[in-house]
Amino acid sequence: MNRAPTKTVYTPWKSWPATIQTLPASLILIALGVALLAAIFLAVSFGSTSIPIGIIAQILLNSTGVFHFARQWDPATELIVLQLRLPVVIGTGLVGVGLSVAGVLFQGMLRNPLADPYLIGTSSGAALGAAIAFVLPYDTIYGTYFPLTPVLAFVGAMITVLFVYALARVGGQTPVVTLLLAGVVINSVLVAFQTLLLTLSPHALVGLQGLFSWLSGGVAVTTWSPVVIVGSIILVGIAFSLLFSGVLDAFGLGEESAAYLGLHVGGYKLLIIMVGSLLAAAAVSISGLIGFVGLVVPHVIRLLFGPRHRLLIPASALAGAIFLILADLLARVVIAPAVLPVGVFTALVGAPFFLFLLRSNKRAYRW
Amino acid sequence: MVDEQQSPPLLDVQGIAFGYDRQPLLYDVHMQVRRGEMVGLLGPNGSGKTTLLRLISGVLHPQQGTILLEGKDLQTWGRRGIARRVAVVPQELHMPFAFTVEQMVNLGRTPYLNLLGTRTKEDQRIVEHALQAADISPLAGRIFNELSGGERQRVIVALALAQQPALLLLDEPTSHLDIKYQIDVLELVQRLNRETGVTVIAAMHDLNLAARYFPRLLLFQRGVVADATPAEVLEPQLLRRVYGVHVQVGILRGAEYLSVLPPGSDFSANNHQEETQPRVHVMAGGGSGELLMRALADAHIPFSAGALNIGDSDHTLALRLAHEVVTEQPYTHLSPATLEKVRSQLMHAAVLVVCPMPVGPGNLPLLQAAVEAAQRGVKVLLLAPTSEGIPLSSDVHIPGEDSLLQQSGIAARDYTNGEGVKLIGALLQAGASLVSSVGEAVDVTKTCAIL
Repeated sequence: MNRAPTKTVYTPWKSWPATIQTLPASLILIALGVALLAAIFLAVSFGSTSIPIGIIAQILLNSTGVFHFARQWDPATELIVLQLRLPVVIGTGLVGVGLSVAGVLFQGMLRNPLADPYLIGTSSGAALGAAIAFVLPYDTIYGTYFPLTPVLAFVGAMITVLFVYALARVGGQTPVVTLLLAGVVINSVLVAFQTLLLTLSPHALVGLQGLFSWLSGGVAVTTWSPVVIVGSIILVGIAFSLLFSGVLDAFGLGEESAAYLGLHVGGYKLLIIMVGSLLAAAAVSISGLIGFVGLVVPHVIRLLFGPRHRLLIPASALAGAIFLILADLLARVVIAPAVLPVGVFTALVGAPFFLFLLRSNKRAYRW
Repeated sequence: MVDEQQSPPLLDVQGIAFGYDRQPLLYDVHMQVRRGEMVGLLGPNGSGKTTLLRLISGVLHPQQGTILLEGKDLQTWGRRGIARRVAVVPQELHMPFAFTVEQMVNLGRTPYLNLLGTRTKEDQRIVEHALQAADISPLAGRIFNELSGGERQRVIVALALAQQPALLLLDEPTSHLDIKYQIDVLELVQRLNRETGVTVIAAMHDLNLAARYFPRLLLFQRGVVADATPAEVLEPQLLRRVYGVHVQVGILRGAEYLSVLPPGSDFSANNHQEETQPRVHVMAGGGSGELLMRALADAHIPFSAGALNIGDSDHTLALRLAHEVVTEQPYTHLSPATLEKVRSQLMHAAVLVVCPMPVGPGNLPLLQAAVEAAQRGVKVLLLAPTSEGIPLSSDVHIPGEDSLLQQSGIAARDYTNGEGVKLIGALLQAGASLVSSVGEAVDVTKTCAIL
């Protein structure tokens, strides 16, 4: 097949991705995987005491049980790496993965490159759940095993999405416009509930402070157990997402045409919404509301490597992890020792970049 | 040839009916399409062409009747099964993402892929073949969104071909294109039909292009009005009744195919006056006029009919058989303008046959017009309901009225709180006569109308 570059003259911005798009998918994914490892090492190495990357590598390799490097470092360093920094960095990466892949799913299903994983109620549902958690006098459930906030945020997000979907269902179908409108309405209703709750609650002041820092978005993990749980949810979500890649490609043609190609459009729509919301809710539960990741990452990956979901989904997952780990790192370093909430940082970096894309690629946004 | 006639037709639509939101849109549609045919589907906007194509493609299900594909009920094929046999080229296709042409055509393989979506060498070969067949191999690496409208339509045809369909449905494939690309796309479809034998059904809005490319045309208005060659279907009277516009049809000097042209202003006026107005008018509705209209047509008695709502089965039949049809929009009461048309028809009429239709507020004014005509001396025949039609209920007794009124069976089909009964009474008083059978009605009509 003729894969030679076409005669059409592209602007430099466009011709650059055109050459990258011809690279084999495996090479792209390996490169992104290497970059992710580098980002993880970098993020673990930075902090109140900086730890050389070589030592981190040795500690990590030792902990696999296969390698046995002679211990030339302080035992405290090992504790810092394995029990303090690594869960945070991995958790941050997982949040990036969840949000980016959810963004890919929603953008593909809604056929709109501007769709956001929070679009149909995830954010307000999670926020209300978190608000309830901050107002309640308990901090954990199941003894001290799992903190209350992420659990309620996750449950709130999933219930809201199911409710929005049920509301949007008209005569056995779920039109996209109804879905978005129902999402908008439910979002504002839930925000009102959240305000009401905080106003009326006796714990309001304490809750407000906690909720504010939660809403501004920051990865809050202190132990491995939430990371493992969220990580398994996200892995399952990604496995499902990869199965949808052909379906999502066909959805690009529109629902009617996707049906002409033999797809059960309604069923897939429900599945994609559920998996996307599961990913977003899992991410939100340990991170609060971090904006722009789910919007920007799939978008850039699509520009760089093309729109086919078979590559887009894994590449967005890796790039989302890299992006959020680096953003979190910068948020910790920029005005150290103070720490910016990473959500503020992604918005400050993401919004201008996104506007730049929007202005330089106007044609791509016809719906 | 013998084989072809013995095997079941590729597509057999058997009396399907369909409506959105319980409002009937298609009535009793029958059609058969054999392998390798190229059929043009004509009809005004809102006539249900697109709906028919969606029914055939299986994304909508008929509420009555069945559609057989390769002799098997469409629903039993399953969505993937249908998509491997029937491909649809929509009017327009928006792709919000920057897919290349080759990736787009690859989507045509969707109904053949397994859960993991792995593509085989065979898939790749079929895609390349589709690209070649649609003459777009040089465009394979281009971004679909950056192509011209004509090129895009070719890509969509190639996508459909990658489905390896036996039946290709096109929904007004040329409506957004310049004339150059319109011809381009239709030439492509015609070539594919001839070379690969793919069966084509295309909804067309351009009558001239339809006449040029399709050896068989189906004129559609909520049901099949005509189904024949272009010469038979593109008949000015028929087109006038279905599209509501006067046209000239002929073969232009030096041309091979029929042309449909809007007439000049003088033509329209002259032609209209030369036309002999039919002297028989039929009021019907809800299927009550079917037998009568068929009988009149068999007896070669020209007649006008109306007013009839679009979507009424009597309307579809009248479009086919009547000389003139007064048409009202679907599901609406008679508008004053439509009623005026009925009155002017009645001015020419010598005989008016009122069929045993249900009488409601919507068509009550028709009976008023009938009374006026009767008083003017028009011969009015009230067709009594037959045993197979609306039953003559002997239980309904109207005190103080004569037996003729009872025989007309109006009470059983009057939904206007007695208004209809009163008007039928007035008709009988003005000299209308009751006829008990269609045969009798035709006989009386013959003697009165021909004088």
